[in-house]
Amino acid sequence: MRSKSESQTLSNSTSNAAAAAMDSASSADPIHHLLRLVAFNSFLLRPPKLRLKLPTLTLPSSMTVYALVLLTYFLVVSGFVYDVIVEPPGIGSVQDPATGSVRPVVFLQGRVNGQYIIEGLSSGFMFILGGLGIVLLDLGLDRNRARSVKVSYASAGISSVIIAYVMIIGILAINFLGNANLRKKILY
Amino acid sequence: MVGAGAKKTTNGSPEVVKSGSGSSTMLKLKLKLKTKQQELLLRVSILCLVYVLAFITRLFSVLRYESMIHEFDPYFNYRTTLYLTEKGFYEFWNWFDSDSWYPLGRIIGGTLYPGLMVTAAIIYWLLRLLSFAVHIREVCVLTAPFFASNTTIVAYFFGKEIWDSGAGLVAAALIAICPGYISRSVAGSYDNEGVAIFALLFTFYLFVKAVNTGSLAWALASAFGYFYMVSAWGGYVFIINLIPLYVLVLLVTGRYSMRLYVAYNSMYVVGMLLAMQIRFVGFQHVQSGEHMAAMGVFFLMQVFYLLDWVKYLLSDTKLFQAFLRITVTTALAVGAIALGLGTASGYISPWTGRFYSLLDPTYAKDHIPIIASVSEHQPTAWSSFMFDFHILLFLFPAGLYFCFKRLSDATIFIVMYGLTSMYFAGVMVRLILVATPAVCLISAIAVSATIKNLTLVARAKNNNKVAHSGSLKGSTSSSKASSKASLDQSQPFQRNGAIALLLGAFYLLSKYATHCTWVTSEAYSSPSIVLAARGAHGNRVIFDDYREAYFWLRQNTPPDAKVMSWWDYGYQITAMGNRTVIVDNNTWNNTHIATVGRAMSSYEDEAYEIMRSLDVDYVLVVFGGVTGYSSDDINKFLWMVRIGGGVFPIIKEPDYLVNGEYRVDKGAAPKMLNCLMYKLSYYRFGELTTEYGKPPGYDRARGVEIGNKDIKLEYLEEAFTTSNWIVRIYKVKPPNNRW
Repeated sequence: MRSKSESQTLSNSTSNAAAAAMDSASSADPIHHLLRLVAFNSFLLRPPKLRLKLPTLTLPSSMTVYALVLLTYFLVVSGFVYDVIVEPPGIGSVQDPATGSVRPVVFLQGRVNGQYIIEGLSSGFMFILGGLGIVLLDLGLDRNRARSVKVSYASAGISSVIIAYVMIIGILAINFLGNANLRKKILY
Repeated sequence: MVGAGAKKTTNGSPEVVKSGSGSSTMLKLKLKLKTKQQELLLRVSILCLVYVLAFITRLFSVLRYESMIHEFDPYFNYRTTLYLTEKGFYEFWNWFDSDSWYPLGRIIGGTLYPGLMVTAAIIYWLLRLLSFAVHIREVCVLTAPFFASNTTIVAYFFGKEIWDSGAGLVAAALIAICPGYISRSVAGSYDNEGVAIFALLFTFYLFVKAVNTGSLAWALASAFGYFYMVSAWGGYVFIINLIPLYVLVLLVTGRYSMRLYVAYNSMYVVGMLLAMQIRFVGFQHVQSGEHMAAMGVFFLMQVFYLLDWVKYLLSDTKLFQAFLRITVTTALAVGAIALGLGTASGYISPWTGRFYSLLDPTYAKDHIPIIASVSEHQPTAWSSFMFDFHILLFLFPAGLYFCFKRLSDATIFIVMYGLTSMYFAGVMVRLILVATPAVCLISAIAVSATIKNLTLVARAKNNNKVAHSGSLKGSTSSSKASSKASLDQSQPFQRNGAIALLLGAFYLLSKYATHCTWVTSEAYSSPSIVLAARGAHGNRVIFDDYREAYFWLRQNTPPDAKVMSWWDYGYQITAMGNRTVIVDNNTWNNTHIATVGRAMSSYEDEAYEIMRSLDVDYVLVVFGGVTGYSSDDINKFLWMVRIGGGVFPIIKEPDYLVNGEYRVDKGAAPKMLNCLMYKLSYYRFGELTTEYGKPPGYDRARGVEIGNKDIKLEYLEEAFTTSNWIVRIYKVKPPNNRW
């Protein structure tokens, strides 16, 4: 709380000056005079006695905020706004021409900017998994923890990143790159 | 070697190492740079390489096709820049254009953002001054890559401000090739965003620097940066809302300081005054609802300052608490009353539809079809995010974690910028561009911090004696890491693990670079005005029909001819065909567009009445049935119906659909088979065989055989059809002599 400490030290060191300024009418500042009349007058300054007590709000810790931020990021990146506006089905379906049975299709084909709901959510989850993997890796390299905890964090982190990356690249390669040559370029 | 060792640290100039034998003195000329100078050399060379990389990765279409302007909007910008260089700034600023929106005309001087044109003109005049005889078109084509390179430099300084110089370098490298930015700043895409993203990042950097240092100079520089942004793009509203939001967050988290006060006040007041110099913006900073947040926070800052001052003067805390409570309630009450009065009296205009639809995404779909019809305004699916960001989507949450771990004024800013811009990017695909710098910066923090951790582990010394060596710069964890890593048997394992992870990180980054280059080459380097396809034998076939048609218009029609087409092609017709158009891409007059939409969707005789009333001489339609081009007017037809029907209730969308389905074959609605657009697109098409094995009149874009093949035109006659039937021009016949 930098501002508060600044003003504290300021007020401590110059309280004499402040008292002197208050007492003497030597200040040429009209607002200062107005303030002296209105604000420093304890007679005038009595807020009404209210029955209701406003709840005291404490700021949440930064990690709580981070968790909320991650949730928002997950929703945005899963294409939540797209789901709300365009209202695609949860999962697509295609009819098998030979047998006539209906097969589910997870990924939307043929359009660039389109998705089904489930594919969006699962991809968003993969991104969060990858991000958290890197976070776990950083926690695993932290110096202040026990070694076993560090090792478990680090290994969990590395495996999350690898799984997430492989899943996403696999999805890209299979579904979005129709051309076989391009598929080879992107896969690994 | 003892003598050399003593001399090594005094200065960095190259010196000859004296050794025992004189003959090898010349060979032992060593460049002994200090570590600081080595680091500087490394940084400068990396930045130079990144600068060049950002420029050349955007040159794909210039190398493949030619140096030409792409898309639709850039043609208007090119035309105005041409006018500016030919006639001068005064004529440009006061230009009333009677060539578009016939018969209304358009006040160009007052309805455009001049930043881009003035920038290109200044570069052009500078080059001319240096005796480089360039054409203005080349300058226009290459403006966007030039400013993209400048953005990477700004990103470096911004990263240095937020985290450290390593993060800055990574940010510059990431933003140089990120597809989200490349898509709107490729060579030939002469559009506002190319310059605006540079201005955006520059303003943000200057403001964060001002908040960090509290210097008036930086704050005023950020005001001028804001002025440049206002002159360049309508998205400046993002800056004028994000910065007050950021100030509010700082106030709420108790980070009020004199530096913040100086920075925000100077920037807001001077920036607002400068922004009013642009005619298009005018007095919006004090009159429009979108700018009121900035004003509210401005007054809130004054209240905070007053409270701080009173607290400093008063020594009685109870009195101060009372004063605090009263002042805060009074301030909030006065603010609310002022806002209420302003909105109720109409002085403060409400949020315009464009920006309101960002807050409430469902608004445009129900109320404003013209905003909803633009393909760039659709909400974003996850595949678009992945396409444009690749591994940055993984690094973004990790970067946020690092920012939250080390909260400071600067990191709070970048977190807020990242979150708000990602939300807006989720609402509209086009706004991925605005989110790109934030995502690159935050990802750079993640990359830099992770690699730093890993290299610390990899470089940890084996022996315990070197616990406090200063060899690892800038981290207090170095000593602790080396003291903790005293277990000998885990040392090599940790080091090998760290080295393996470093290799993995480099592998990921190289995959990112590959993906970005591939995306740039395949997806974002097409000029849209020239179409390319693969022929039957794998060779490349180029369709240059648009330019063929516009050139025909330019050469074969009278100079005062008026051309009616859908608004997509207006800018190109005026710029390349040099003819007057009825509606163009500015879309400022919805009724006029609806009139054209009504004409296109009516029967030929009704449409003829409308065209006579508008003095139309030629009608231009785009047809993709022969080539399979899918962005033609028949596919856009339902939007014409909707927009026309929005103003003229006589046009009803269900008339053109069959069971809710849009069809053009035999089963189509009768109104569809006889409307003007259908007739103009498919005139004489019924005689043409487009594909082997299919009947004549097979529409390759829709994949069906058309319903009405025998089309007769009564009031129009065909004037020109391009070689691949993509653009078709018809002449409107004058009325018959009545005698």
